Amino acid sequence: MPMIDWDLAVKIFCFGLGSVFGSLAILIGAIYAFGSILKQIEKKSDEEA
Amino acid sequence: MLDMVLTTGFMHLTVGNLIMWFIAFFFIYLAITKHYEPLLLVPIGFGILMVNLPLTYLMEEGEGLLWRFYHYGLEWEIIPPLIFLGLGALTDFGPMIANPKTLILGAGAQFGVYVAFFGALLVGFKIPEACSIGIIGGADGPTTIYTTVHLAPHLLGATAVAAYSYMSLVPIIQPPIMRLLTTEKERKIKMRQLRRVSKREKILFPLVTVLVICLIVPASAPLMAMFMLGNLFNECGVVKRLSDAASNELMNIVTILLGISVGATMSAERFLKPQVIFVFVMGLVAFAFSTAAGILLAKFMNLFTKEKINPLIGSAGVSAVPMAARVSQVMGSKADPKNFLLMHAMGPNVAGVIGTVVAAGVFIALAG
Repeated sequence: MPMIDWDLAVKIFCFGLGSVFGSLAILIGAIYAFGSILKQIEKKSDEEA
Repeated sequence: MLDMVLTTGFMHLTVGNLIMWFIAFFFIYLAITKHYEPLLLVPIGFGILMVNLPLTYLMEEGEGLLWRFYHYGLEWEIIPPLIFLGLGALTDFGPMIANPKTLILGAGAQFGVYVAFFGALLVGFKIPEACSIGIIGGADGPTTIYTTVHLAPHLLGATAVAAYSYMSLVPIIQPPIMRLLTTEKERKIKMRQLRRVSKREKILFPLVTVLVICLIVPASAPLMAMFMLGNLFNECGVVKRLSDAASNELMNIVTILLGISVGATMSAERFLKPQVIFVFVMGLVAFAFSTAAGILLAKFMNLFTKEKINPLIGSAGVSAVPMAARVSQVMGSKADPKNFLLMHAMGPNVAGVIGTVVAAGVFIALAG
């Protein structure tokens, strides 16, 4: 049975799960942000028309 | 006469070869009669048959035909990113953009990846091998293959077949877990119809995503960038030919090469080992925990959100597009025939693909 580097294993777990949740949370923020910007642009162009 | 007989394969057949032939025929049988992932199991089964023919030297390093497919296709990391290009062209991120909070469910369903990772460590696998086994829980074949080629190429046949087998068994594996973790009342929760997503939003999404994900986890760039490029081809509307090529001809060609290459790694001496059984068991554990984590996270989110989420869509966070979303729909409509969850489940379903690629990127960066 090989010696397990538990420090690395825990680091992979913490950084891995953190990256998955972190990146998807940032993506959620980005979707809301560009969604509202696009809405404003569309509203403006509608008003101009 | 004896010399001539010795040049044939018959005299060099081993029991291991015969067992692998049986496995090859079984895969081909499953594909043809049961329709279990036929696009992959037919070439994988045939690849197994080919590599277990004595004296053909098809996997001989530098010479064999199958070795060339494997080496230039998988070891050079060409095939999985091209599959992702095609998947991107076939994916509609609309439901996810319409309800972005379902992205969290795609993240939650990666939990099983880490359960299997630790499980594999505890039964004696090394860290890179445990990463390759854990990623099966993401239920994403090309990502599993990509990760395994990087970290534990000797396990490629087992992890790839486990991933694709469990993906095709989603309608059998998930429903009991879904029933166990939800009440009848929860399964009947109706979700509001999704808003219309504009073309501009759909075009911006792959551009923003590739920036966000590849900056956070650069090791995920080969898969993520190709996934989003394929999606941009599809959504921008000005390169229909490229979108069609990526999602049809190119996808079909690389699927053939992928299947044969995976099958080619399953020679008797590489595949018939006790550790392969552990790979399959841990893969199933990963899959089950991912399903459960997605459902439980949806229930947890319901404690804080005004608009309730049907927890059945949480299980769709295990990629397996679109099969997992279909299972959510079937389970939802069984509880209430007027319940339409398919489009809601597509959100976590495609988010699961992104989540799995991020998890794989971290595995490769830290354990590679």
